Amino acid sequence: MVRRPALRKPASLKPGAWKPALARLPAAVTTLPGRFTSRLHDERVASLLGIALGAGVLVSFGTGLVSHFMQQPAGWTRWPSRPVNLYRVTQGVHVIGGLATVPLLLAKLWTVYPRLWQWPPVGSLAHGARRLLVFALVGAALFQSVTGVLNIGYWYAFGFFFTTAHYWTAYILLGALVIHVAGQWPRARRAVMTRPQDAVGRRGFLLTVAAASGAVALTTAGEAATPLARLAVLAPRRPGNGPQGVPVNRSAAATGVTSLARDPGWRLTVTGRVTRPLTLTLADLRALPQHTARLPISCVEGWSVEATWRGVRLRDVLHLAGVAGDARVRVESLERHGRHRASQVDPPHWHDPLTLLALGLNGAPLALDHGYPCRLIAPNRPGVMQTKWVHRVVVW
Amino acid sequence: MKTRIVAYAAGLALIALGLRGIVMDVPVTAWAAWFAGAVLVHDGVLVPVVLAAGLLTGPLPGRYRRIVRAALLVGACVTAVALPLVLGHGRRADEPSRLPLPYERNLAVVLGCIAAAAACAAVARAVIARAVIVHRGRRGGGAARAAPPAGKGPGR
Repeated sequence: MVRRPALRKPASLKPGAWKPALARLPAAVTTLPGRFTSRLHDERVASLLGIALGAGVLVSFGTGLVSHFMQQPAGWTRWPSRPVNLYRVTQGVHVIGGLATVPLLLAKLWTVYPRLWQWPPVGSLAHGARRLLVFALVGAALFQSVTGVLNIGYWYAFGFFFTTAHYWTAYILLGALVIHVAGQWPRARRAVMTRPQDAVGRRGFLLTVAAASGAVALTTAGEAATPLARLAVLAPRRPGNGPQGVPVNRSAAATGVTSLARDPGWRLTVTGRVTRPLTLTLADLRALPQHTARLPISCVEGWSVEATWRGVRLRDVLHLAGVAGDARVRVESLERHGRHRASQVDPPHWHDPLTLLALGLNGAPLALDHGYPCRLIAPNRPGVMQTKWVHRVVVW
Repeated sequence: MKTRIVAYAAGLALIALGLRGIVMDVPVTAWAAWFAGAVLVHDGVLVPVVLAAGLLTGPLPGRYRRIVRAALLVGACVTAVALPLVLGHGRRADEPSRLPLPYERNLAVVLGCIAAAAACAAVARAVIARAVIVHRGRRGGGAARAAPPAGKGPGR
């Protein structure tokens, strides 16, 4: 990216030269790029880091789209309920991979930093447009990194809803990246394919950046890959830490459902497009055939943990009420407010024998914070859609 | 050229789609402040701090300088990503499984491991350098000093 001009001292900075401070300032600024003496600010390093970073952005974009369209299905999306761990993997890759991309991004920006101070800042209209697109690229990449890192730390310092802003900014990032790659491809190709004749220690630098990405991944990946849990010392979640060994995202107290969920008068109603509307007590549900399923809770924040759930198959309850095979189902929580008080269950998911209205977790009745008396648990589905404190199933 | 025009058109369309979504669904002022603010803080604070660290470590002898800079780079990246957890603004009393670990201590342990790895690398380098000197000394004549490591550019 950066030619390495010889170190030049502007005339106005020579000792003894006297000029008004204002006139001297531009001279100091115009020669700024030449003052970066590290030979790592070069095209080859920038290209190699750029290729890795581009791959990282594409993976994050793809996995992010999966998460978005699972939660807000468009008309053309119909998600299968298998493989069971698909969402667990895509979202784990999105979050842990995204974190591991941060060192790549910072290293890449450091490598091309001298270009920020090129003089004149804008030479022509086309040059100005190119720089504006670079600003969009850098801004979007930093925005996605910063908001993502803050969001998984539950630090909602920004005055907007994270998911929407992160989603739309991803398109800006991808668009600016496509343009950047199209413009830089010939140079990057040349820089990567030509064997360098100098003795610049690029390999050491690139390996150091890779080590930084590795260190970030190693200290966080255990929140999604349970065998590595003990290494996840800098992850916001720890598998095994929480009631019944499973972390909790929203507690009963935080959602204000405690008294309703503990009420012995709790009933599960099945209504809507059914032939026999149902009202079931907890004892009624326990009297139905019970099934066990090993399923993960896979949170949108990237952590996931597998657990043993026990309860009634959702399809058994729906068949009891009499529903059409292509019926769509909405499962509603006791929560009065909140974005996640209800979730949609489409035919592939409610037909799946692993989809339960769970009453028990890891060998005991559901803890209040896990959705007592009854919660939804289904394969290949984000945690926010595993509705807790279920009291109504609406068929339509 | 044709491919490039198609790519530019597709890229601009994606940017337009993203901006449209931002304008329609997100408070634009807050979004713009974080978008531009991230760039300003990165370009105006973070990189200058890194450059200053490069200047400060410049006088170290070549073979140790790269190790120190590598350790600083890895440590700084880990710290940057772990910072929200260490500050702990996301803790909630009613959800103890959120941010359940002692992150200050854990970060200190991780940074300690990085420092220890760097120290081991430095010791290994010193031992190898000495072995080379002794070896050359035995062979008689030879350079009195180990050859400087390749790629010694100051990391500014």
